[in-house]
Amino acid sequence: MSTKLSSKDLQNSIEEVMKKKQYENFNQWVTNFSLNLPNIWNDESANVLNPKINTSFEKENNSAIVIGRGPSINKFEHLKLLAESNYQGNIICCDGKLADTLNAGVTPDKFSKFYVVTIDPYPGIIKHYEHEIIKSYGSKIKGMFTVLTDSKAVEKARQTGIKIHWLHSLFDYNEGIKSFNNLSAIMIRAKNSEHKLPAIQTGGNVGTAAWFTAWQILKCSTVALIGINHGWEESDSWETIIHHNNKAEISEVVDRDSKVFKKLYKKIYNPDFNCNCILDPLFQFYSEALKEFIERSPEKLTTINATEGGSIFGNRIKSMKFNDFLKEYN
Amino acid sequence: MKTNFKKNIDEKNIDEKNIDEKNIDELESGHNLTQKEFEEYIAKSGAKGSFMVYRSNKKDDELGLDEL
Repeated sequence: MSTKLSSKDLQNSIEEVMKKKQYENFNQWVTNFSLNLPNIWNDESANVLNPKINTSFEKENNSAIVIGRGPSINKFEHLKLLAESNYQGNIICCDGKLADTLNAGVTPDKFSKFYVVTIDPYPGIIKHYEHEIIKSYGSKIKGMFTVLTDSKAVEKARQTGIKIHWLHSLFDYNEGIKSFNNLSAIMIRAKNSEHKLPAIQTGGNVGTAAWFTAWQILKCSTVALIGINHGWEESDSWETIIHHNNKAEISEVVDRDSKVFKKLYKKIYNPDFNCNCILDPLFQFYSEALKEFIERSPEKLTTINATEGGSIFGNRIKSMKFNDFLKEYN
Repeated sequence: MKTNFKKNIDEKNIDEKNIDEKNIDELESGHNLTQKEFEEYIAKSGAKGSFMVYRSNKKDDELGLDEL
């Protein structure tokens, strides 16, 4: 029997379903961690990127731009705007947009505080580090990787010259001393009790995780988002929307004329940018979580959505055009 | 927490500028997913997402830990 749920109940139930789905890969996560452990012992914690710990990092201009691969980033040529700007803050790139970002001229040669974030524990993530252009800039890019990342993907990133900085992705720490989050932390500290890593909320995806790294690790007080739509443009094809732009892995399973289809692929209105947005089920999951965490973030943090579209609007979210952000924060 | 789900309006049917919150609730009541519908989608489509959301009784922990 199907039951109608409140918004909060729905989000909780979606999270439970996703959690159950993710746990199907638990053995892979443990394998990934085991293979990464010798490197984790030797590499640096992402906490060295914390300007309060490493005083060599500039404390001024402590804003960041998080770059995702949502559809509006190309629609509004945000990378071109950024490449032509004199922005002095931090660039935090989601792994899936790294190659495009470099190709657009947003490089660590021009933007010295350049980071890439990976949180997916799946082997397929390696493709994000296989682009030739990454080799040209890798040595100037600081990577933030979870300890659960596929070891071959980590190795591929390392081969490009990216310096790996490790962090935990929280998932079961609430279960106590026998939780994998806690056990893995103990193993990491086995050789050096001071080798502690930051543990972040991922919000279920790299875009939200990158937003967390901006203020939790880099201690930025202003974080702007581009390409973080957590939704699709009306102009995107149904092929793209239904398959979450990943036809190889996600199948079409619902009749497009059914009532369920309209619920699964929900159209909403973004009043801040006066546009519509279509959320597939994954984006419904991601969007609600990110908005909740922005609303719960410290008051001293300002989150600016400069995506110019998408589903991220509401309490504690300041929306502005990216060009205006660059003028204000250059 | 305010969420988009209250505001999720099918643009074909509703002029958003002319409706109040109460009306949105009424109009939305039949438009939200059920857990079963979402679960069936996940089971059949192959969609798995990237990772999960961390939840804890210690709500502050949900925003991350400085070190572990």
